[in-house]
Amino acid sequence: MNRAQRFFLRIGALAAKEALHILRDVRTLYLALVMPVVMLLIFGYGVSFDIDQIPIAVLDLDRSATSRELVRRMVAPGEVILGAEVDTAAQGEHLVTIGKVLGLLTIPARASEDLAAGKPVTLQLAVDGSDGVVANQVLSKTEALARSIANDLVGVSGTPSPPMQVKMWTRYNPQARSVLFMVPGLSAYLLAIAAVMLTALAVAGEWERGSMEQLFASPVGRLEIIVGKLLPYLAVGMLQLLLVLALGTWAFDVPIRGSVWLLLLVGFLFLVGMLGQGLLISVIAKNQMVATQAGALSSLLPSMLLSGFVIPIENMPTVLQGLSHIVAARYLVHALRALMLKGAAFSDISRDLVALIIFAVFVLGVATARFRRRLA
Amino acid sequence: MSEHAIVASHLEKRFGAFRAVADVSFHVERGEIFGYLGANGAGKSTTIRMLCGLLAPTSGQAIVAGADVDQDPEAVKLAIGYMSQKFSLYPDISVIENLLFFGGAYGLGRKELRARAEEILALTGLESQRTTITGALPGGIRQRLALGCAILHKPEIVFLDEPTAGVDPVARRAFWRLIRDLAKAGTTVFVTTHYLDEAEYCRRIGLMVDGRLVALDTPAALKREHVPERVLALRGPAITSAMQLLSTQVGIKEVTPFGAGLHVRAEPGMWDEVAVQELLQRSGLLGISVEPVEPSLEDVFLAVVGKSSQANGEVSP
Repeated sequence: MNRAQRFFLRIGALAAKEALHILRDVRTLYLALVMPVVMLLIFGYGVSFDIDQIPIAVLDLDRSATSRELVRRMVAPGEVILGAEVDTAAQGEHLVTIGKVLGLLTIPARASEDLAAGKPVTLQLAVDGSDGVVANQVLSKTEALARSIANDLVGVSGTPSPPMQVKMWTRYNPQARSVLFMVPGLSAYLLAIAAVMLTALAVAGEWERGSMEQLFASPVGRLEIIVGKLLPYLAVGMLQLLLVLALGTWAFDVPIRGSVWLLLLVGFLFLVGMLGQGLLISVIAKNQMVATQAGALSSLLPSMLLSGFVIPIENMPTVLQGLSHIVAARYLVHALRALMLKGAAFSDISRDLVALIIFAVFVLGVATARFRRRLA
Repeated sequence: MSEHAIVASHLEKRFGAFRAVADVSFHVERGEIFGYLGANGAGKSTTIRMLCGLLAPTSGQAIVAGADVDQDPEAVKLAIGYMSQKFSLYPDISVIENLLFFGGAYGLGRKELRARAEEILALTGLESQRTTITGALPGGIRQRLALGCAILHKPEIVFLDEPTAGVDPVARRAFWRLIRDLAKAGTTVFVTTHYLDEAEYCRRIGLMVDGRLVALDTPAALKREHVPERVLALRGPAITSAMQLLSTQVGIKEVTPFGAGLHVRAEPGMWDEVAVQELLQRSGLLGISVEPVEPSLEDVFLAVVGKSSQANGEVSP
């Protein structure tokens, strides 16, 4: 038997043993499969949020002093901010699809002339409805702003029909149902917690039980231990992902407009990273108590608060925005929303995929490197 | 390949200022049962962990199965089996699943592994319990299974760290039968224990006190060397009074409680069973039986510990 065969044999033995632990322990299956379903139902039916500082793109076909003044006044209060100025509608739509901006405001050609002549002007606002809260906010803020600004600009007030209207339509989520953007975010959150906790407890348990010492006395290598631990939980995690997605589709009518395979790929990469984070924690912590605390803290808080699930990343202080770049959930949330609600293609989420791969390789690399097969 | 299974020279392990193992040198021959004795905290487990490549020695060298434990721990790990002091099987999976896992961890192929697992089940007498969840087994049987897991891959040397701690006497005897069978089949056995009766089964014994190896020889030679005195066993009523009386006599080296009675170490030229019995009767202590006995390893242990504590300027325990 050669080295490679023995390598896979040992990983197989470790993975099979770990699978037995999972099947024998009701708590593991509960943590992995029941808890996410319950939480998804609770959150899905009961939570909504508030926000501001929404970046929108402006397509100014009028290009007049008046239209520029209109835009300036619109962004002045800070509820919406100018994310980009574009020259074509296609450019603007692209920015919405990739999530750079959350809405596209189009000022029609000759708007200022019409306004001066007292004719009604229709502004067009396309909003990214995949984030329902944001969409609602953009709609109500912009409409109110347009009304008062137009009155100011024309110098007439109290006219029964406003000289300028904003005609709106919401892309991706026309009814602005918050559950549609909740489900992708929540999936990421639930996957993160369960995945980190599963492996954190699994390895810390070996330290506590003393069986790690027994493993170290065998020729089993550290990479073999890491991979052997990872595989069965990856299977559980994928099952969990499918369950959450199925529940989202079935209970909340969340669409999956993009490729299901891409969705599974993103989920897979995210799970590898999160399971790796759990492994890293238990390699360092060595007991279940500390591993539980560290696991919960490092998965729950960032994936809830820094992923864009609850608080839009655009609304965060710069420091937190920067910090959110090292939170793997951020990329999953973005990719899931893009895939499920916007029907994004591979190129739209390629940055998320790359980020998730980098994260997974990094945590697994550090976990393996920090893993000493000797006792202190 | 060296002719000895284990060669330790000036092996030392310090944890900060604490010398857990201090300048220990010995060798273990192939196929012998080598007993490593000492009180809790004497450095037995630390020595075993260094020999298994689990702990790096602070200084000194150990060659196990021809490989240096510090330079090439992986080669050592392939050649040895190890049963740690803590219960190291997985309690939530069955007997056969534990065996198959540990066999797989040593890289045994599927067919070979199945065959070996059956052999081990037969050897340890666990055939009827193959599907029992390990955690539900009594301690003695679990220890047999743990030994089985440590020898699945037919190691040259097995290290057993307190394998019978907390196991009842009948199960201990059954366990030692297994150990002797292993040694007969050519496996070198390095075993630590603090049950001194078990140490009689060992071909040679090393005695550890406070991190130092203070004696090493066969049980018989240790008794001759460290207990040259006559050992008398006393049994009967008023044993406490007898203890007080005897410990003040010239030529009586030591009086220690032994079971329900006393063991007395005395100068052979000055005391024998008749002289002690006369002394007792003169003092009105009647009905106590006095018999000469072969010194036990416990006598050796007490003598050695007493000597080395005095050497350290400590009060004997």
